[in-house]
Amino acid sequence: MTGRDTTGHWPVADLDPVRRLHVLAAGIRGAHVTEGVVAAPYERVWALLGDLEGGFGRVTPDMRRLRILRRDGARVEALARSRYGMRALLRGEQRPGWCWLQSRFLLIGAAAAPDGDGTRVAFTGGVRVPGRAALVPLGVRREGEVSLRRLTGLL
Amino acid sequence: MPYVSDEETVRRVRAAQRGDTLAMAELLDELAPYVGRICGPIALDQGPDAAQEALVAVFRSLRSLKDPGALRGWARAIAVREAVRLARRAARAVPADLSTLPSRGDPELAADIRDVLDRLSPEHRAVLVLRDVEGLDERAAAELLGLRVGTVKSRLHRARDTFRKAWTS
Repeated sequence: MTGRDTTGHWPVADLDPVRRLHVLAAGIRGAHVTEGVVAAPYERVWALLGDLEGGFGRVTPDMRRLRILRRDGARVEALARSRYGMRALLRGEQRPGWCWLQSRFLLIGAAAAPDGDGTRVAFTGGVRVPGRAALVPLGVRREGEVSLRRLTGLL
Repeated sequence: MPYVSDEETVRRVRAAQRGDTLAMAELLDELAPYVGRICGPIALDQGPDAAQEALVAVFRSLRSLKDPGALRGWARAIAVREAVRLARRAARAVPADLSTLPSRGDPELAADIRDVLDRLSPEHRAVLVLRDVEGLDERAAAELLGLRVGTVKSRLHRARDTFRKAWTS
């Protein structure tokens, strides 16, 4: 990504999905961003990570299954079932390189952007603190690291 | 980017302040192109870094924003500040020519704006963006940049004059 668009002559600074994830996480107290570069082209990475009912669930820790209930453009509503039997109704947005889903108690964010021959990926998320832009600061690092490790293993 | 009403922006800010991260994502969709149009011409190659830094500052302090209607003006001030800061840091090794600032609608400006921007200091680029992209008058631009109105006016005047002479000589 060059980050420069000269449409209409004036250069415009572009915010790729990984940068977006950093911005949103900065506004959520307790959120941690795990970022890394995987040695696979963006198209292959996003084919896996963007498949909410398939690859996404295999990468996200503690998730057994995710089923899409509704989709309207980038807006998504999905039912997630954890390995421990809990269910969560997730709402959010998904588009190329970007997935941001929240339920009442959960937040899951994933982003990918081309980086040379590889792909830069970033994860954030955790258990939400009700009524505030905050996460319970437990396991936020581990979950991102697990996601990155699993993604690398699947590619 | 579809048009977003002021009421919708206010609703998003309030929801985001209550911890709704989807509202935060919507606000980011709304603000990122706006901040990108400010940071791009001022910070040039550092534009994406400046846009990210500016938006990080906006979202970190969103909770303290008392008047949601002031969001854009607030984000604009932060974007200009971050863009000038990052461009200055990157330009330390490159001496800037402070004497040329084209007038609004100058054909040369439209023909190769990047080339013109490359020859200006970050501060001059900020004045140009606030005037030509944001449509601010000298008074508003001066206020935002922390300069006296007279300073902005004379800089613009002198720069236009120099620019004109360079093209008619």
